[in-house]
Amino acid sequence: MSPLGTMARALVYLRVTSFVGQVKSRLLRLKQPKYLAGALVGAAWIWFTFLRRLNEPHAGRPGVRPSPEIPVDALPVLLEAGALALVIILILNWAMPRRAALTFSEAEIAFLFPAPVNRRMLVHYRLLGAQFGIVLTSLVFSLVFGRGQAFGGNVWFHTIGWWIVLATLNLHFTGTSFVYSKLLNRSLTSQQGKVVALAAIYGIIAVLVLWAVFDIRIPRPDDFQTGRAFQAYAATQLHAGPLPWLLIIPRLLIAPYFASGAPEFLFALGPAVVVLAAHYFWVVHTEVSFEEASLAKAEKRAEHVRRAQEGDWRGRLPHHSAQKPAFKLASVGRPEIAFLWKNLLATNSAFRPRVAIAVAAIVFIGSQWLLRPEMEAVRFVVLMFSGVLLAATLLFGPLLARQDLRSDLKNADILKTYPLRGWQVLLGEMLTPLAILTVCVWICLLALFLLLPTEKLEWLAPSLRAAAALGLAVVAPPFVALQLLVPNAAAVIFPAWSVATGNQSERGIEVMGQRIIFMTGQLLITALAIIPALIGAALMFALVQWFAGVLIAGVLAVAVMCGVLSAEAWIGLRWLGGRFEQFDLSSELRP
Amino acid sequence: MIEITNLSKAFGDFTAVRDLDFRVNAGEVLGLVGPNGAGKTTTLRMMAGIIPPTRGSINIGGHDLASEPIPAKRQLAFFPDEPRLFDYLTVRQHLAFVARLYGVKDHEALAQPLLEELEIADKADKLPAELSRGMKQKLAIACGLLHAPSAMIFDEPLTGLDPLGIRRMKDSILRRARAGAAVVLSSHLLHLLEEVCSHVLILKRGERIAYNTMAAVHAQFSNGDPNASLEDVFLRATGGTES
Repeated sequence: MSPLGTMARALVYLRVTSFVGQVKSRLLRLKQPKYLAGALVGAAWIWFTFLRRLNEPHAGRPGVRPSPEIPVDALPVLLEAGALALVIILILNWAMPRRAALTFSEAEIAFLFPAPVNRRMLVHYRLLGAQFGIVLTSLVFSLVFGRGQAFGGNVWFHTIGWWIVLATLNLHFTGTSFVYSKLLNRSLTSQQGKVVALAAIYGIIAVLVLWAVFDIRIPRPDDFQTGRAFQAYAATQLHAGPLPWLLIIPRLLIAPYFASGAPEFLFALGPAVVVLAAHYFWVVHTEVSFEEASLAKAEKRAEHVRRAQEGDWRGRLPHHSAQKPAFKLASVGRPEIAFLWKNLLATNSAFRPRVAIAVAAIVFIGSQWLLRPEMEAVRFVVLMFSGVLLAATLLFGPLLARQDLRSDLKNADILKTYPLRGWQVLLGEMLTPLAILTVCVWICLLALFLLLPTEKLEWLAPSLRAAAALGLAVVAPPFVALQLLVPNAAAVIFPAWSVATGNQSERGIEVMGQRIIFMTGQLLITALAIIPALIGAALMFALVQWFAGVLIAGVLAVAVMCGVLSAEAWIGLRWLGGRFEQFDLSSELRP
Repeated sequence: MIEITNLSKAFGDFTAVRDLDFRVNAGEVLGLVGPNGAGKTTTLRMMAGIIPPTRGSINIGGHDLASEPIPAKRQLAFFPDEPRLFDYLTVRQHLAFVARLYGVKDHEALAQPLLEELEIADKADKLPAELSRGMKQKLAIACGLLHAPSAMIFDEPLTGLDPLGIRRMKDSILRRARAGAAVVLSSHLLHLLEEVCSHVLILKRGERIAYNTMAAVHAQFSNGDPNASLEDVFLRATGGTES
């Protein structure tokens, strides 16, 4: 066998054995209860959500043509909408210049880069490696999107359809990075050439976007009145501006996904495979140096892993430059404020008081503009968005805003040496996400208060609307604090679980199961905690309104709710502080 | 003053530290030595309030660490072997944060000479990621010294320092001890302990093998050899084996 053939076999061997080793190590760690419990919950969720339906009639077996849940005449519009989504992804991809950096691990770089392997073989190795993830993602997407039943067709057509789209996107991203690498390489492209090329790319993107923006009509309220009306609107607009010719190739690419039967699928498969093959030839035949950028990327990934293993589960690398503090920290005063000051420095500079004030001002001014009759449809969209954002902030914000003990767990040892009680450390740590989430809630409430259509909701008088918004604004901080206690309690009581679930690089059924357990626990505890507050507030309102009127009853109900939630948060904080004083991270994270 | 009485720590069935008693008076430097796994770091972590002891008491400057943790910790500084720093805080911001926690008034006036003494004044606006290992160690030391502690605990304080840094660190420890601080020092660098320690405590398998002044321990284990080093003493005391 030729040396190249030997190397190719060695690379395939490495890829396959690495995959087998990875699967084995995942199975071995199921010996740990935290992973076993997570795996059981994750598997149960996958079974009950997706797989159980495979046994149902018309479950997508080849040859069986299920009836689509979506009207047949809507499918072409959906196909074009899908193609538009692809175009947007590709435009965003071209809008981000970057160096070619194929993803290799540090070990792969150490062994493969000095080995007698040519660059094209390394590209093939990497593309092969990416296929494991792409195939798995295609299967998961097929399950998550109900195996495409809504569109008709069958599960395997949809899975192959997903694979073609994802594999082509992967190749397109790699190809784009190769093109930019050549453009940004000083020895290959002069400064003038680079400027001209970048200007040409951005110019084309700008022309396309502006052309589309000017030609596409903003929806009117009557476009939303019925499904048919919206379908007609979408069908017209998807042929406006540059879209008809921009969508040609993406449409070919996603056509197999929308095929309703075997003949249609085979007919659509040919052109899609040609597009995929063209991308493959583009990537494989582009000569570009990717080693240096790949090395930097591998080092960055290794650093992410190292930090996650140390307990910094965000695995996020620190800023490259120091941030300006949100406020000046005095030498004396409540020590908890020092944590707020410190953790705000760890956040994006957008999370500053002046930005919050600016956003509130924009919401106020923007709402006045949206209150004009001709903006009703846009106002409705903004209103819906504000409502969804409010709900998401309250429900998921505490899980996502991690600038508290969860991100400081690696420094737990040093935190415990400070002259503070455990509850003081925890309160200080929680202040930053509490402040951020509370301000988000307040801004959403402001938008809702200003944009609610009073003409359609006559019972909701402006005074009542203002009172409700103010009441919710007052209740928000203790409610958010209570919510934040749950993930912080998890970090103290189950630090190893928190590390596994918070680390974004951790994947697998077991980690997904752990996340489900955490989220369920969070919702359950919050629901249990809010019940006494709601009962107390309802009783107070019911009693007082008889003799003092709705307004005073409302104020007192809010006060009761606020008081009960604050008391619960305080009790939880003191209890958790005691646990924090007793816990030893080094022994908790021991395998 | 640091006073340890009947201190024990068990992890499940394993006893890492057993019935330890010792006392470090103001101006004394106690060297804590022992083979790997002898319980040195566990002892230091208990003394710093990081992990609670299973049994026994720790008294810092007249305050019991368990019942009066805040006044006890106000007098204490712990310097771990691996500097624990906050990724997003510059050198100067670290000092501002620590000053607020310990209530150090006008900390800027105290911080500048400290940074100059530790030779990191020119790095005041750098993040930890921009500092070398030795610089990070110096920053951790600056944070610990800012509130002028009367009890100091060092776990392998010389790791990552260059020869000049080692010399300065030794001088710094001795100067602070002379100024009245009680210092506990754990290190495998026995020649360092020989130079700076007034007392020595040898641990093996979590138990006290020897505890006295440096001269007394030397006399106890040197077999009459006046030229025996602390290394010889250590090897004889521990039987030359790991725990």
